[in-house]
Amino acid sequence: MKGKMEQSQRQRLIEEGKNLKEGLIALEEDLLKLNDKLQLEAQRIPNMTHPNVPIGGEDSSMTRKLVGSAPEFSFPVKDHLELGKELCLFDFDTAAEVSGSKFYYLKNDAVLLEMALVNWTLSEVMKRGFTPLTTPELVRSSVVEKCGFQPRGNNTQVYSIEDSDQCLIGTAEIPVGGLHMDSILAETLLPLKYVAFSHCFRTEAGAAGSATRGLYRVHQFSKVEMFIFCRPEESEHYHEELIKIEEDMFSSLGLHFKTLDMASEDLGAPAYRKFDVEAWMPGLERFGEISSASNCTDYQSRRLGIRYRPSEAPVASPKSSKGNLAPPLFVHTLNATACAVPRMIICLLENYQQEDGSILIPEPLRPFMGGRSVISRKL
Amino acid sequence: MKGKMEQFERQRLIEEGKNLKEGLIALEEDLLKLNDKLQLEAQRIPNMTHPHVPIGGEDSSMTTKLVGSAPEFSFPVKDHLELGKELCLFDFDTAAEVSGSKFYYLKNDAVLLEMALVNWTLSEVMKRGFTPLTTPELVRSSIVEKCGFQPRGNNTQVYSIEDSDQCLIGTAEIPVGGLHMDSILAETLLPLKYVAFSHCFRTEAGAAGSATRGLYRVHQFSKVEMFIFCRSEDSEHYHEELIKIEEDMFSSLGLHFKILDMASEDLGAPAYRKFDVEAWMPGLERFGEISSASNCTDYQSRRLGIRYRPLEAPVASPRKSKSNLAPPQFVHTLNATACAVPRMIICLLENYQQEDGSILIPEPLRPFMGGRSVISRKS
Repeated sequence: MKGKMEQSQRQRLIEEGKNLKEGLIALEEDLLKLNDKLQLEAQRIPNMTHPNVPIGGEDSSMTRKLVGSAPEFSFPVKDHLELGKELCLFDFDTAAEVSGSKFYYLKNDAVLLEMALVNWTLSEVMKRGFTPLTTPELVRSSVVEKCGFQPRGNNTQVYSIEDSDQCLIGTAEIPVGGLHMDSILAETLLPLKYVAFSHCFRTEAGAAGSATRGLYRVHQFSKVEMFIFCRPEESEHYHEELIKIEEDMFSSLGLHFKTLDMASEDLGAPAYRKFDVEAWMPGLERFGEISSASNCTDYQSRRLGIRYRPSEAPVASPKSSKGNLAPPLFVHTLNATACAVPRMIICLLENYQQEDGSILIPEPLRPFMGGRSVISRKL
Repeated sequence: MKGKMEQFERQRLIEEGKNLKEGLIALEEDLLKLNDKLQLEAQRIPNMTHPHVPIGGEDSSMTTKLVGSAPEFSFPVKDHLELGKELCLFDFDTAAEVSGSKFYYLKNDAVLLEMALVNWTLSEVMKRGFTPLTTPELVRSSIVEKCGFQPRGNNTQVYSIEDSDQCLIGTAEIPVGGLHMDSILAETLLPLKYVAFSHCFRTEAGAAGSATRGLYRVHQFSKVEMFIFCRSEDSEHYHEELIKIEEDMFSSLGLHFKILDMASEDLGAPAYRKFDVEAWMPGLERFGEISSASNCTDYQSRRLGIRYRPLEAPVASPRKSKSNLAPPQFVHTLNATACAVPRMIICLLENYQQEDGSILIPEPLRPFMGGRSVISRKS
């Protein structure tokens, strides 16, 4: 009798086992879905905000500094498109046929001006101890997300590649951030300062209106970007350093500009604090953004897995199994525009236009343009 | 009786009309499909081939010139990857995580070398009367096809953008060709000579094996490209001019190279004749392609719709309605690589390596590298 009961019991247990197994599979699928959902929701949480950041929209941003003054013209001021047309510097119309609207060819002296701006900017920033880089312009979409951008959102700024998990970068910030992903850096290496030259691609979906004429808002442009990895206690210091470098460079080009402490609604997901520089553009008759410097604290480093091991060990404790090594901490990351070429071209053309339609080249750029001091009409 | 028959007849005719109409719609759909099919078949027809082009595969290509000689080394020769590693010039490993294999970061002196190569090349080619350009790097796929490439083929070299008819360019040849699409140029404008700097993107699908290490085969690179639009009778002359410019530049950099008249199977669809330059790469222990100059005659101009109006009018004829203007003719187009940066970097590193692992910078590039003559280990 004992054997028979065992068998019936056994059968029951086997059935129960099967049910538990199937139940487990279903629960694991649910767990996966809920994890994804949690991840998605968590991604919506932006970085913390610096206590001094003005609360509100664009209009609440505060001017920190005003440099230079608007040039006075004794003749009618032209905008960059008109100046460019007379000097054979751009072609937007053909680019619209070949590629679409908001694309352009640079021609003649505009090419030399772009090269001069990039060469000079790299040189200036390298003098200040930054390591030069060029970067991939196609990156995996997961890296884009980890930097705080939304490649798959509606109205995304990001171009995606067909049949691939790759996207085009909108800024070198992304591949430079990725340079140290999933790493533990020795503290002695910090701060790591990079200056990266890349092309940038943006869909500009949802951007319309008059602020999009000519070079002001385009899908593709050259940019020199500064990026710093540092210890948390130093990020505010380096934020000030980055904005100072920008101010020095724009001053030396003779631009009239203001530096803004951006209001909370304008920070975007990753930034703890953001300083924008807006330069006077006589043809547009207003200030236009030429640069942005963000302190992202540990927002990007948490997602990219970038940590450092502090040199000082805490007091020896019996629980420390790894000798006296301090646990690794997340670095802070900062990024800042050293030179966004199209916006700089607008500034230079419109501010330095002469009555005869020629353009004076600011002193610092002349050595990088073969010593020339003027862009004038081709004979 | 007459009225009744008319109505009966009328009904019959109305029915016939409906049938004809439906039949017409069906036939028009067929016409569309057949036109597409015809277009697809017609696109398979490559350009004509110059009578002197050797018939056959790669091995049939003929060496027309040999310049310089392979450097002799009194120490073990390193390849560019090893040299780059010791000098902290590249990062392929991190780029593989961030973007995928065959992507890379250039660092430190490699960035300066890239800028020097681009700046010098632009300067040299501009001296020879070429107009500098920068171009869109996203173009409509129809333009890519008109230049003779296959964006949608299997093993296509072309990256496509999701939810768009746009593609990434594999060479500036494409947007430069598009610069004059659907135009009739005045003969006095010809020849039009452009030198374009752009980034290039290639899937390299189907390319595998040892010839793909390091910088030799990559998905993204900087290139300076020469492009000429000319009259049909002038294209062979300009083909010689382009290859001469390349020869002069590579000679002045002290490279050891050969010029090849490419065999028929290596021409690709658009080329009537193609000269390749292969430079000696000591680390690879063989010659590697650093440049290509193609005469596409009217293959691209027919598809892009680029014509010119000859100045001389034929003898007046009573049938001429447009006075004495000669009918427009298709221009000829040519393109040639002035500088493909990664291949040039391989050449310079491997040929100019010193025993201590440093790299001598060839004379012409020194002014573009702040006067420096050596790339050496960072202390």
